[in-house]
Amino acid sequence: MKDQVFSVGYRRLPGDRPRRWAPWPIARTALALAWRKRSTKLGVVLCAMSVFGHGIAIAAQVLAERVMGRMGDRDGPGVMRDVLRSVVGNVHATLATFIGMQMIACAFLLAMVAAGLVAEDRRTGAMELYFSRPLRRRDYVVGKLLAAGLVPLVTLVVPFSLLWLAAVGMAPARASQELMGLLLPGLLGAVVAAVVLTTTILGLSALGERGRTVGVIYVVGMLVLTSAGADLPRHGQAWAGYLSPLRNVQTLADAALDAGSTGMLMQLLISRPDTNPSVTLAVLCLLGLAGLGMALLLWRVRTEVAG
Amino acid sequence: MLLALHGVSKRFGALQALRDVTCELDGRAVGLLGPNGAGKTTLMRACLGLLTPDAGEVRVLGIDARRDPGAVRMRLGYAAEGPHRIPGLSGLESVAYAGELCGLSRRTALLRAHEILDLVGLDEARQRPVEEYSTGMHQRVKLGMALVHDPELLMLDEPTSGLDPGNRDELLQLLVRLREGDGPAVLLSTHLLHDVERVCDTCIIMDRGQVRYAGSLEQLRARMGDDEHVLRGEGDLAGLASALAQAGHAVAPGERPDALRVRLIPGHGPEAIWRAAQAVGASLWQVQRRGQRLEDAFMAAIDGGGAEHRGEERARS
Repeated sequence: MKDQVFSVGYRRLPGDRPRRWAPWPIARTALALAWRKRSTKLGVVLCAMSVFGHGIAIAAQVLAERVMGRMGDRDGPGVMRDVLRSVVGNVHATLATFIGMQMIACAFLLAMVAAGLVAEDRRTGAMELYFSRPLRRRDYVVGKLLAAGLVPLVTLVVPFSLLWLAAVGMAPARASQELMGLLLPGLLGAVVAAVVLTTTILGLSALGERGRTVGVIYVVGMLVLTSAGADLPRHGQAWAGYLSPLRNVQTLADAALDAGSTGMLMQLLISRPDTNPSVTLAVLCLLGLAGLGMALLLWRVRTEVAG
Repeated sequence: MLLALHGVSKRFGALQALRDVTCELDGRAVGLLGPNGAGKTTLMRACLGLLTPDAGEVRVLGIDARRDPGAVRMRLGYAAEGPHRIPGLSGLESVAYAGELCGLSRRTALLRAHEILDLVGLDEARQRPVEEYSTGMHQRVKLGMALVHDPELLMLDEPTSGLDPGNRDELLQLLVRLREGDGPAVLLSTHLLHDVERVCDTCIIMDRGQVRYAGSLEQLRARMGDDEHVLRGEGDLAGLASALAQAGHAVAPGERPDALRVRLIPGHGPEAIWRAAQAVGASLWQVQRRGQRLEDAFMAAIDGGGAEHRGEERARS
């Protein structure tokens, strides 16, 4: 039997091979491994529920807009229209809220998918396994960024675009024109949130040695910063609001989407984060956090591998 | 030329891991021998470009490992010591993934992975996650990952460590088949002399970060000179030892109190021993000729180095 196995022999591969883009197999394999975990699937369901909920809210607001349009045509501006608007809110605010709320769901999902991306490679010795192949440090970093970045891209940026598309498609002509201008500012907010989430989880993963521990620290850290950012400003410490990435993202999203009231129905369903007074400072804090995460990742890869 | 090292040095804090390592090696299978802490793994990592030497030049297959580590790694297959793995992947996926990282397309990598796992003898278990593997299966997967992209040189760091005799025998048999067939050249780092003796034709002996010997195994054995005689007897063995030493033969104490080890001057036979024994009145009941083993040559190389090192230490103090 052994002789049969060994009789296969060694076959040389033909010719020169073109150099392929190495980050993609790294990202694809990391995501495939994450998908095998039940917790990841639960995280995806959580994100999908958030998208679905906001989709329902946007559909209700667009329908209300249509009804208000008809009322306006028949009766002129009236009390009923204002009441309806204050109950269902407007699409701007719902899209802005979506970015903030989805960031929380996405942080949970990332903790399950990406917390071990670098930490587990260090623990299991896979780092040496990677760098004994013709990989550059850049390939490894880009592969890991791609793996982690695809999560917020698929659960935050793409759903935002779909919700916007649904809103524009269903809205009456006049409102539709107004909604058209929301895409680019909204995408800016969503992309900033995605970048912050991706780099912070990878930065933390570069510091840790166990994916599970990193995931727990990430989620607890986010919750602590969020609650500190929510409570301390109420006690006169306004600067503390900038500690919360969620609050900073909400500040940016509200400013970008020119959000008004979310409406009574949304307020009943979702506890929306407050916003900070300065949009510029909020953006600077987010970029600083993203830069810190990126610096930690690069530092770790540099210290692990010389060449 | 497989390896060309010129004045390679590397220090980790107070530890001088490599000390002016200079050697050039060619051949189908090279053994990298040395006790634990000799600097074997550091040397291999330097060859891969995974660490930058403080001084010196490392050329692997004619390529400067410092300047172009990517090109070196493209032509090298490396299996590190220890349980390096990606948890969650099966053996098959691990090997295919290693192939993809080396530039194979997904489909080619998967086909090649099946082929290589057939070669290394991992059957149905290839579909199971690597965490469930025994040490022997791990070593096979690591070997598969090193071979999948068809390297020109296969570098194996302690590939038989932790294997039972059966698995070890199969692995060594496979390496011999690779050496004799179309497979890549092999650089086998180990502290097990038997493995090198079985697989390699050339070797480097390292100790305390220095190369003590680099060349063929035959030359290493020949360097030890004539065969050794082990004597056992009673009477004036001390007198016999000094009589033999005065005659110019090399004498060392044996493993037991009633034994001596004698290396005769070339051209002399065992009758010289008998004559000396008769002269001093010692009676011998055993004069056994022992062929030179690699172990002796290895120990001689290490001991020589140790004496040098002790001399250096004394000079420094």
